[in-house]
Amino acid sequence: MTQSVITQAPADGADVAVAASNPRLRWILLAAGLVAALALPWFVYPPVAMDIVALALFAIALDILLGYTGLLSFGHAAFWGSSAYVTGLIATHYGLPFPVAVIGGAVFAMILALPIGYVSVRRSGIYFAMVTLAFAQMVYFIGYQWSDLTGGENGLQGVPRSFFGIEAVETDSFYFYYAALPILLFGMWAAWRIVHSPFGRVLVSIRDNAPRARALGYEVDKYKAVAFVLSAGLTGLAGGVFAISHGFVALTELHWTTSGDVVLMTVLGGIGTLWGGIVGAFLTVMLADYLASSGFHGIDLITGSVFVLVVLLFRRGVWGTVRHQWNSRRRRRTTSGEGTGR
Amino acid sequence: MESKRKWACASALTVTMLLSACGGGGPGSSGGDFTGDKLVLAVLNDQSGIYKDASGPNSVKAVKMAVADYQNKYGDKAVVTKIEVTSTDHQNKPDIANTKAAELYERGGADVILDVPTSSAALAVANQAKNHKKLFLDVSAATTALTGAQCNKYTFQWAYNTYLLANGTGATVTRNGGKKWTIIYPDYEFGQNMTKSFTDAVTKAGGTVQETIPTPFPNENFATFLTKAGSGNPDVIGTMQAGGDLINLVKQFNESGLKDKGVELAVGLMLINDIHSLGVEQFAGTLFTDPWYWNQDPEARAWADRFLAETGARPSFEHAGNYSAALQYLEAVQAAGTDDADKVVANLEGKKVNDVFLRNGEIRATDHSVVHDANLARVKKPADVKEDWDYEEIVAKIPAAEGFPPAEASGCSMKP
Repeated sequence: MTQSVITQAPADGADVAVAASNPRLRWILLAAGLVAALALPWFVYPPVAMDIVALALFAIALDILLGYTGLLSFGHAAFWGSSAYVTGLIATHYGLPFPVAVIGGAVFAMILALPIGYVSVRRSGIYFAMVTLAFAQMVYFIGYQWSDLTGGENGLQGVPRSFFGIEAVETDSFYFYYAALPILLFGMWAAWRIVHSPFGRVLVSIRDNAPRARALGYEVDKYKAVAFVLSAGLTGLAGGVFAISHGFVALTELHWTTSGDVVLMTVLGGIGTLWGGIVGAFLTVMLADYLASSGFHGIDLITGSVFVLVVLLFRRGVWGTVRHQWNSRRRRRTTSGEGTGR
Repeated sequence: MESKRKWACASALTVTMLLSACGGGGPGSSGGDFTGDKLVLAVLNDQSGIYKDASGPNSVKAVKMAVADYQNKYGDKAVVTKIEVTSTDHQNKPDIANTKAAELYERGGADVILDVPTSSAALAVANQAKNHKKLFLDVSAATTALTGAQCNKYTFQWAYNTYLLANGTGATVTRNGGKKWTIIYPDYEFGQNMTKSFTDAVTKAGGTVQETIPTPFPNENFATFLTKAGSGNPDVIGTMQAGGDLINLVKQFNESGLKDKGVELAVGLMLINDIHSLGVEQFAGTLFTDPWYWNQDPEARAWADRFLAETGARPSFEHAGNYSAALQYLEAVQAAGTDDADKVVANLEGKKVNDVFLRNGEIRATDHSVVHDANLARVKKPADVKEDWDYEEIVAKIPAAEGFPPAEASGCSMKP
């Protein structure tokens, strides 16, 4: 079983096992990640920092499906975008504090994911990707045509950022970052819990060998559908924060290119690594941000080349490659009989 | 002890000299009137995508031309000596436009943002301008929302809007004899709005719109829609398609034989770059509104010659619009003696302006729409083209008062 996992997927279960067997390393990494998240707006323009963290959660949520359940969703823009719109509408029309609006958006994304997931998980592979894409396109055109509600192609403008009357958060994007960060960190923690729960182990077993999982008595489709809905919910959290951070919702949030971008981020960071999404989002956003002011006129050329290079040279993605190198070095040390003080 | 005092003396002298050097720069240059002692004009547009040719990098060059002209005109009397022009690519993504606009205002020291094609991006930037109380002069985005429901004190729409396109082409063509219209439009916000504006304009001018035909967007095959449109024997077929769709529709219109039956084709939005890239023979005879044409008169032509020397291409109306917006902004700064946005806005509001781009121009105070005379143009036949970029024949002038909506009707309220 372990053998087949290693050869089959870049996300090999053995890596997880080794990392998990070293709790001290895990805590160090976790602390470093937290410090990085807290320090980010000191080094990066705060709204850009917010984009990075929001898109990181988006990529992590997608990785629950792509890396741990083996389902490539090409329609996650539907959940990201619809949550953004619902969040924006709640904030605009009811003036509620933004965390409430964001939760509203996430709940809507989960409700939307229920029928879509229920139908889509009956297929796998490329067919699953196409079905999710088709649903996402339907949602896109609803957003496009229902312009009384969504503002059509002009987008939903002027979304307020109310936060219990605390003016620093409402007007300054630096303080807003710290107000919104807990929501996104909660989302990342939830993703980690999902993946490392017994439920998550079942998802991995379905990914690796669905017939055997079924033979063991697991209702495969039901597990997949639940994973789909949970992933959509976390995506919704990220999309809602993104909408509030920008103060408006553009139709591009629902567009299929958004689904493509997040797949790119996940692959860039490393499929099945969860935290790779953070690396992928960071690289993608920083690259787009840097190139926008660089005077170079061919942004897509660069991002495309980076993607091709990563796929050709680091099939495990950036984070996946680093982790794999680290683990294989450790394993070599362990087998040569040194290093562990057991 | 002795040497210490000497040092103090020398440094005091240096400081005084520095101060006096700063103070000698002309009126109002006490240092505090310009944030960072400089003026920053930020062009935010599409440098790499579909609108690259229509505005793009050449708009940045047009703005730089305006800065050079301002410096030549005022020389030593200029209230600010250090003027920077920056360029940012929003990649046609409203999210990036939004973040970059905020960053330009907050960290880039931008006093004004110019251009910003794509309506959703421009609306987002207008919101940032309002929040940061800094100027935004829109040139390339056409939505009337900028000077209507979502107008604000710091946003101006400089060149054109969908109302001008509809009213210019619709009303003028109807008055010139094209009474029966059929309109083909892409079924989304822009197309729907344009169709509504066109219908109003045609009806008001005494014509009728027999039929409006929605098409999918984007779309390639327009044959069925054209056949349907032709079956009503209209005088004019109006199309609201843009970009690649427009090119397909025009090609298929030419092949459909409707042209030989005397049906005219009127286009909602077209730029000279569209004609340039597809070739004049495809568009020959098409009517459209051009807010400004490089060869419309000697003054425009003289500037277009300079632009050609600078960039190797003739300017679109968006390039000229960016030049005009930058120039008039600098004039307003000169008059106000400061980059303080409120004072500059006060100077701009209600001003009557004539320059290379604006003819009978007025910067309306009520809705911040910059109104000016525009042209109804017809694409020339290939045989009539005498030089490169000589594509348009001006059929009629559209006076500012007719082309732009009356200020009362804009629905704009400037209250903060």
